[in-house]
Amino acid sequence: MVKEMSDEKTKILGFCCNWCCYGGADTAGTARMQYPPNVRILRVMCSGRINPSMVFKAFKEGADGVFVGGCHRGDCHYDAGNYKWNRRAELIKDILLEFGIPEERFRFEWISASEGEKFQKTMEEFTKTIESMGPLQRTFPICSVKQQGIKAK
Amino acid sequence: METQFLLAKAKDKELAKRGECGGAISALFKYLLDQGLVDGVLNLRQGVDIYDGIPTLVEDSEDLMETCGSLHCAPTMFGDLISNYLSDMRLAVSVKPCDAMAIRELEKRHQINEDNLFKIGLNCGGVVMPLIAQKMIDIFYEVDPDDVVKEEIDKGKFIIKLKDGSHKSVEIDELEDQGFGRRINCQRCELKVPRNADLAGGNWGAEPGWTFIEVLTDKGKKLVKDAKKSGYIEVKIPSEKAIGMREKIENVMIKLAHKFQDKYLEENYPDTENWDEYWNRCIKCYACRDACALCFCKECDLEKDFYNDENEVVPDPLTFQGIRMSHACFSCVNCGQCEDVCPMEIPLAVIFHKMQKRYRDKTGFIAGVSEELPPLYSPEKS
Ligand SMILES: Cc1cc2nc3c(=O)[nH]c(=O)nc-3n(C[C@H](O)[C@H](O)[C@H](O)COP(=O)(O)OP(=O)(O)OC[C@H]3O[C@@H](n4cnc5c(N)ncnc54)[C@H](O)[C@@H]3O)c2cc1C
Ligand code: SF4
Ligand code: SF4
Ligand code: SF4
Ligand code: FES
Repeated sequence: MVKEMSDEKTKILGFCCNWCCYGGADTAGTARMQYPPNVRILRVMCSGRINPSMVFKAFKEGADGVFVGGCHRGDCHYDAGNYKWNRRAELIKDILLEFGIPEERFRFEWISASEGEKFQKTMEEFTKTIESMGPLQRTFPICSVKQQGIKAK
Repeated sequence: METQFLLAKAKDKELAKRGECGGAISALFKYLLDQGLVDGVLNLRQGVDIYDGIPTLVEDSEDLMETCGSLHCAPTMFGDLISNYLSDMRLAVSVKPCDAMAIRELEKRHQINEDNLFKIGLNCGGVVMPLIAQKMIDIFYEVDPDDVVKEEIDKGKFIIKLKDGSHKSVEIDELEDQGFGRRINCQRCELKVPRNADLAGGNWGAEPGWTFIEVLTDKGKKLVKDAKKSGYIEVKIPSEKAIGMREKIENVMIKLAHKFQDKYLEENYPDTENWDEYWNRCIKCYACRDACALCFCKECDLEKDFYNDENEVVPDPLTFQGIRMSHACFSCVNCGQCEDVCPMEIPLAVIFHKMQKRYRDKTGFIAGVSEELPPLYSPEKS
């Protein structure tokens, strides 16, 4: 049982901005740069579109790590979306901590469409960090009931 | 505006007698109603006993007789009462610092129109929950709570007056050491003089029968001047000594609040396991959200299917309290309403207050006090 748990693939959700980071992922893909398959990418129009609820939902649904990638400062296609995101991200970190989720499990970076390599490196690094931490064990009791497959219905 | 210090009392004999400290505040309300400068006054009236403070809209100045005096066992909140029900009226409202803080946040969010409002502040040393008050009067004063006809907080004591005219008092420190006394959020509250109101009245530094008023805005200055000219209040200048004394008491109270912040937000702060135990009690009644003046969205994220899970007996704290926190904690004014109404006694204000303090340390934004919106709402590229 314990072995099964640790064998389970690390799950990482990456929110990538359409204009930059998603392009970076694409560049990495086209250039056949390998990055860990644990990362599932969700494309959003701008990092400024992402709100704390979405990050919390990802962790609730079983993500072991959440990544957010946006355009470099000054490059946001909606002017200030990434600055807004940056302020929001600081708050998210603090709230996650209160719920026992260490900040290492939540990462955000600025990656441009041409930075395929930076995307690849970041994903490798982040996956390594999350793997070394192991699967996220939420201590909230009701969640552990769910993990054991017992449903209330 | 340069702040101005005054001593004031009501000219009207009956108001002066019934008022807590000379009735100046009630006299200002009377002036505003009589002159037609406001449509109503929002303040408190005593219900069946001293533990029963009822928010009241006074439209006829004669009725102000019923709303005189301070009620220290009335943990009320006027912010969302105004934004939800009275936003179309020109109002004067008596505000404790936390009322004034919530109102300021709502004004910035265009939920309350500042121009329609006279904010008549009351200094505040804290409020006792009605049930706690009754219990402690029974235990520490050995008195039937129903025999108490008046209560007052003075010189660090909670003083009660009985039917037979006698007084009894106990040190607040002693009560609070035993888990009684003021609400825990009030113990942590560091805004003792509501400098975010138009003026602030209180007994600190005042002579018996007078209220010490700090005038804070041009609107407040004009109000005091005109009410005096029209013969509603009597005014004199306090001595330097009185001003100094008031400042000294205020500073002692702020220091004490910081001590309690250390105690409740650091030393005794629940760890993650304790919080899990608390969250596990939640029955998802939404009372905390409904009571919070800052939670006013017409469509609440917490009710979206997307964040709900019908298999959950208890809501996942991350997508319930966590989401509410992400919307409100940085603006939390530590009014304690969420905690007061939680039927499962989850210490909600503790975590919200702690988060606002952290946000304040990082950004300088002080909820309820800062003039501008929290930086999280800023369009700036910074
Ligand atoms: C809970 C509380 C704590 C206080 N603590 C201090 C203190 O530590 N130091 C200090 O200097 N002064 C304090 N005051 C202020 C002081 O007690 C007097 O209210 C003030 O001096 C004005 O006196 P007055 O005779 O002019 O007021 P009044 O003419 O008697 O008018 C008081 C007005 O306040 C309203 N009111 C009563 N209770 C409340 C309440 N809980 N919330 C909102 N409105 C209310 C009444 O309805 C009335 O309109 C406190 C007041 C309250 C209500
Ligand atoms: S939170 Fe502050 S202002 Fe509000 S009742 Fe308590 S002590 Fe007074
Ligand atoms: S979170 Fe609680 S203490 Fe903070 S403003 Fe809302 S109701 Fe008041
Ligand atoms: S008031 Fe208490 S029980 Fe009700 S939803 Fe809020 S935290 Fe849960
Ligand atoms: S468009 Fe990429 S962060 Fe705004």
